[in-house]
Amino acid sequence: MSFQRFIRNDVLPLGWCPGCGLHALFYATCEVLDELDKTNTIIVSGIGCTARGAGFFNLDSVHGIHGRAIPLAVGVKAVNPDLNVVVFSGEGDITGIGGNHLLHVARRDDNIVVICNNNEVFAMTGGQSSPTTRIGGKTLTAPEGNVMQPLNIQGIITSNKRFFYARATPVFKEHLKECLKQAFEYDGFVFVEIVFPCIENYSKKMDQTIACVLKDLKGKYKICNENRMLKDDELGIFRSE
Amino acid sequence: MKKLLSGNEAIVEGALVAGLKFFSAYPITPASDIMQGIVKKQEQVKFIQAEDEIAAVNMCIGASLAGAKVMTATSGPGFSLKQETIGLAFKLPTPLVIVNSQRVGPSTGMPTLGSQGDILQSKSGSHGDYVNIVLYPNSVEECFRYTIEALNAAEESLSPVILLSDGMLSHIYETVDLDSIKYSLKNRKRKPLGEEKRHFTGLLSKNDRPQTKDSQVYREWYYERKKKILDVAEKYNFYEYIENKNADTLLVAFGITSRIILPLKKKYSIFRPIRMFPVIEELKEIAKKYSKIIVIEMNDGQYRHELEAFLKRDIYSVTQLGGKISLKEIENELSKIYSE
Ligand SMILES: Cc1ncc(C[n+]2csc(CCOP(=O)(O)OP(=O)(O)O)c2C)c(N)n1
Ligand code: SF4
Ligand SMILES: [Mg+2]
Repeated sequence: MSFQRFIRNDVLPLGWCPGCGLHALFYATCEVLDELDKTNTIIVSGIGCTARGAGFFNLDSVHGIHGRAIPLAVGVKAVNPDLNVVVFSGEGDITGIGGNHLLHVARRDDNIVVICNNNEVFAMTGGQSSPTTRIGGKTLTAPEGNVMQPLNIQGIITSNKRFFYARATPVFKEHLKECLKQAFEYDGFVFVEIVFPCIENYSKKMDQTIACVLKDLKGKYKICNENRMLKDDELGIFRSE
Repeated sequence: MKKLLSGNEAIVEGALVAGLKFFSAYPITPASDIMQGIVKKQEQVKFIQAEDEIAAVNMCIGASLAGAKVMTATSGPGFSLKQETIGLAFKLPTPLVIVNSQRVGPSTGMPTLGSQGDILQSKSGSHGDYVNIVLYPNSVEECFRYTIEALNAAEESLSPVILLSDGMLSHIYETVDLDSIKYSLKNRKRKPLGEEKRHFTGLLSKNDRPQTKDSQVYREWYYERKKKILDVAEKYNFYEYIENKNADTLLVAFGITSRIILPLKKKYSIFRPIRMFPVIEELKEIAKKYSKIIVIEMNDGQYRHELEAFLKRDIYSVTQLGGKISLKEIENELSKIYSE
């Protein structure tokens, strides 16, 4: 078998911009689904560049409304617990407009996986500030640079008694795949944060080419193999058990 | 066996009989006791108390796509929050029943006095063009009966169905013999999530692929969807017509208001839509017999406007605002119309 069985053959080439991290994230996800033979997977998304990905998987998928992928996924899982229910959406969708659902899905420890692509902006609408834009990040709504502190997603997830939080980037593909593998095998609520800035509507504004972005990600992040709270420049998995 | 039930309790009973498998809601009076009723039936129905009304209705969407008959229940403020998702259910499409026990709005209004202020919202509160079936019972027995029909209509039309109630109807108690009520059940043919490789999306799409720039595709999709719902609606053609051969005036009323004005049948004919939307076609013929049509409702003339457009003639309005309804007041208002 091959990971290609998880890709709809009529969607290629994928509609994302050249150089966008979503391509590599999507392929890595398909590879892991293939390796674990997770044909019982359902992809659920909200609205945004990332969310469009739901329609690229050769699986039953639901592309709902902005911010509401999590409750929709919870409803699917509630009715059919045998399904591997995966949310694939952006950080604006999941931590902004849908933030309340994130708090409560983590509290309830509902058995779904959230893959949240954190590109630091509302990419689809042209690059406005999102809850995770870094201080100094230039966006359509903060042209002089964002001054508000970014949301601490790890803090929110890991404030619960039982939790699974992972941070990965497609730049370190094997590590990303290892995170996704553990995520799909975990019993409970899983949050996988993918870090990769939006190239088209963010990095370019800060005069960063794709090459710069890749180099920065490689230079910034170290993989942490200990089970503990990750520092801002670390990738890894922090889980309660 | 006869039972003493409230309107809300009868809705729970009806939903169970109809095969409800998933229910999610967020507390709000006067709808909360529907949720409380479901809580006691968790061996039959998967229940989640959601973090808000938007979550509740989106959980319903997911559960519905996963194959379950689903329902949520709320009142005005929560009904407003659910509007965006009604459009999603229409588009995907997927069956969904929303109970709205109306209370006085706008905003927090006069909690939790009954009202009929959400008539228009129940028809077109979500953005964009869509059609949906709206049912409105007026007794405890009917709450049972039309909850079953609402779930049936949702299954048949693969679309959102609104079951209206009001603060009074939710909480009146009446004796009913549920066993004597005849009904049939509708079940979905579409396979649940996980059995195929479909892409359900709120975007306009063709053959499972987003097609967001093609007006022709939109038009074909929209008219087909609309026709499907209108065709199904015809099978749910519920209304009551009490004809008074001596009357030249037709009163139109629904929900709790239709109960209050029942004594007026001695003087007037009364038309009571149970399927509020799409508006009952037969009303066109019935209306021809009357020189005056007067809609009596607990809002500022919402259904009156609908009927004016539907019947293409002037229609009088008697309104009962602010959570209070009185037959005496209504009779006074009617006599004013006659002295004009
Ligand atoms: C209720 C609602 N508000 C606003 C929008 C417009 N909108 C579409 S995508 C989006 C932001 C998406 O950002 P994110 O979730 O980070 O996804 P990305 O495009 O960055 O992957 C917004 C605000 C919408 N579709 N619905
Ligand atoms: S706009 Fe940004 S996030 Fe969207 S596809 Fe392009 S690079 Fe990726
Ligand atoms: Mg984003």
